[in-house]
Amino acid sequence: MENIDTNGNGLSHPYNSLIKMRGIWKTYQMGNEQLHALRDVSFDVRRGEYLAIIGPSGSGKSTLMNLIGCLDTPTKGEYWINGEQVAKMTDDELARIRNKEIGFVFQTFNLLARATALHNVELPLIYAGIGSSERHEKAVDALKSVELGDRVTHRPNELSGGQRQRVAIARALVNHPSILLADEPTGALDTHTSAEIMNLFEKLHEEGNTIIVVTHETEVAERAHRIISIRDGEIEKDEKTR
Amino acid sequence: MAFVPSFSIVYESFRLAVGSLRSNKLRTMLTLLGIIVGVTAVIAVVTIINGLDSTVADAFSAQGSTAFSVSKRPLVITSREDFIRFNKRKDVTEQDAEALGRLCDTCWRVGTSINGTGLVKYGENRAENASVRGLSLEMFDIENVSLQAGRLWTDQEGRSGRPLCVVGTDIVDNLFEGRSPYSVIGQEIRIDGIPFTISAVAEPFGKVLGFSRDNFVYVPFEAGQRMFGSRDSIVIHVQVRDSALFETAKDDVRSIMRNRRKKEFSDKDDGFSIDSQDAFIGIYQNATSGIYFATIGVAVISLVVGGIVVMNIMLVSVTERTKEIGLRKAVGAKQSDILLQFMIESVTVTMVGGAIGVFTGYGLAYLLSFVLGFPLLISPSSAFLGVTVSFVVGMISGSYPAWSASRLSPIDAMRNE
Ligand SMILES: Nc1ncnc2c1ncn2[C@@H]1O[C@H](COP(=O)(O)OP(=O)(O)OP(=O)(O)O)[C@@H](O)[C@H]1O
Ligand SMILES: [Mg+2]
Repeated sequence: MENIDTNGNGLSHPYNSLIKMRGIWKTYQMGNEQLHALRDVSFDVRRGEYLAIIGPSGSGKSTLMNLIGCLDTPTKGEYWINGEQVAKMTDDELARIRNKEIGFVFQTFNLLARATALHNVELPLIYAGIGSSERHEKAVDALKSVELGDRVTHRPNELSGGQRQRVAIARALVNHPSILLADEPTGALDTHTSAEIMNLFEKLHEEGNTIIVVTHETEVAERAHRIISIRDGEIEKDEKTR
Repeated sequence: MAFVPSFSIVYESFRLAVGSLRSNKLRTMLTLLGIIVGVTAVIAVVTIINGLDSTVADAFSAQGSTAFSVSKRPLVITSREDFIRFNKRKDVTEQDAEALGRLCDTCWRVGTSINGTGLVKYGENRAENASVRGLSLEMFDIENVSLQAGRLWTDQEGRSGRPLCVVGTDIVDNLFEGRSPYSVIGQEIRIDGIPFTISAVAEPFGKVLGFSRDNFVYVPFEAGQRMFGSRDSIVIHVQVRDSALFETAKDDVRSIMRNRRKKEFSDKDDGFSIDSQDAFIGIYQNATSGIYFATIGVAVISLVVGGIVVMNIMLVSVTERTKEIGLRKAVGAKQSDILLQFMIESVTVTMVGGAIGVFTGYGLAYLLSFVLGFPLLISPSSAFLGVTVSFVVGMISGSYPAWSASRLSPIDAMRNE
């Protein structure tokens, strides 16, 4: 199956694929044993899709997200982003993609402990070479969009778990990436904030961004237009829901 | 591909460097120590030797490199055997001086001196160990003595044995506390009990290496001869008009003097010694170059040790911040950005150490100049040298840790909890 036509409208022509994975394996060598976190994973994501990845704990969801986000390299298989083969990119090109194309919300937030919320959000802009006043403005806007406009000078240990998660989301959004990767973005949020974040994602999707969300929660998964289920590192189900 | 970091990345790196240095003060202090010691050594030695050079140059240029002396014994004697041997030589006499004045065409001025020390008293006030010299009038030109008050004795007065003297400012200070040079002219002082009238006060020569050169009484050569004549040989001083004639004049003097002593060509010893400042300058330069090299050795060792410490601390810092590095790479930091971050951190430590070292070095030089009494010559070039050296140490010792940090993969770095 070369092109997975999920909606039958013919838009899954290879050149329309933003993300194209073919025969991806991720294997960890644990002593004498081989642990396959991903087994022969293949799928495409078109520009503008809203995709949820679900599956039990340890099934390989984060592993897959790290590969999509160009943070990790597969043991086997090929990955194209925007028609370019990732394995052939230089370190600088990868850095540019991580900086400009991808916004990553990590499962464990990964904020700089010593830096303020504002500085954490500014980080991608620093590496984009954006000057300080514009940077400040954009970072404050991003924090406002996650309703943290009054917490800019707080450090991570002065924020609640949900607030930290929102700082992480603001950081992922601040550089206006075309792909938003969110690993359990609502895991630490109450239903109200969770709904706010989901509305924000929906808005971003309507603006034409591609969104991939890993989640346990059915309400979150149901907002997506397509759901991929993973079990034991294999794609079990890939279905369009809207 | 040219790598031009944006200002924001440089600034961020610098901010990080300062933050990480401040967050671990004890470690930073220890890291700095090696660099501080090295740079302090360099700066202090360069500054001290500059100061010494200038005083020594000043002291000797009074005579210029146009004058030399002819005496029975050389100025520098290194062994007892030599001392005994030199003592067996014939005395240098006024007749020798007269002959040189007559026969040596390249000699411009020929003066004579007879030198000793004595107890100088004015009433109950005493100046001990004053240098007492009997000088012919030419000596005031050769040694560039100028007077701030009073007048020199005339040739006539000198020959007729009038007990006149020129005193240095230390004598005025010691014997006539608080009195002006003018007011002491005409006062009678006693040198080893013999009365002399002060006819002039010389301009001060100042100190060399902490020793005052103004504790002297000059008397007419004839008067000096009466005091010391029976005890010691005289010294003849020769000055040439142009330093280009210096060596020729020395050779002329040597052959005239050897002739007068009927020295065979084969006789190795002249029977007298010719000394000029070159001898002192040579000794001085030997001594200072020794100090120079010893300190450069100390500085290099402490900089190498300091550099190794910096490298170690940087490696620890990289290991501690693996997660942070991973995150930075995940949000778009390039290898070169991470490299730059840690290079800036390393160079910041060593430059701070270097800057402190420059100040402590100057402080040390200041203390020594104060104690030894030479001018403090702070040269910006030595500060520049100190800072440059610490910059280079920072670059070298930061490069491996920074390189290894830049090579971390974002995912491995972030998993490190
Ligand atoms: N660095 C590693 N070394 C060895 N095994 C690993 C490593 N990273 C992940 N794994 C294994 O790979 C499997 C998939 O892990 P992954 O983090 O992708 O799970 P997940 O689907 O995100 O789970 P969860 O929902 O709990 O976050 C797990 O069994 C895990 O133990
Ligand atoms: Mg996970």
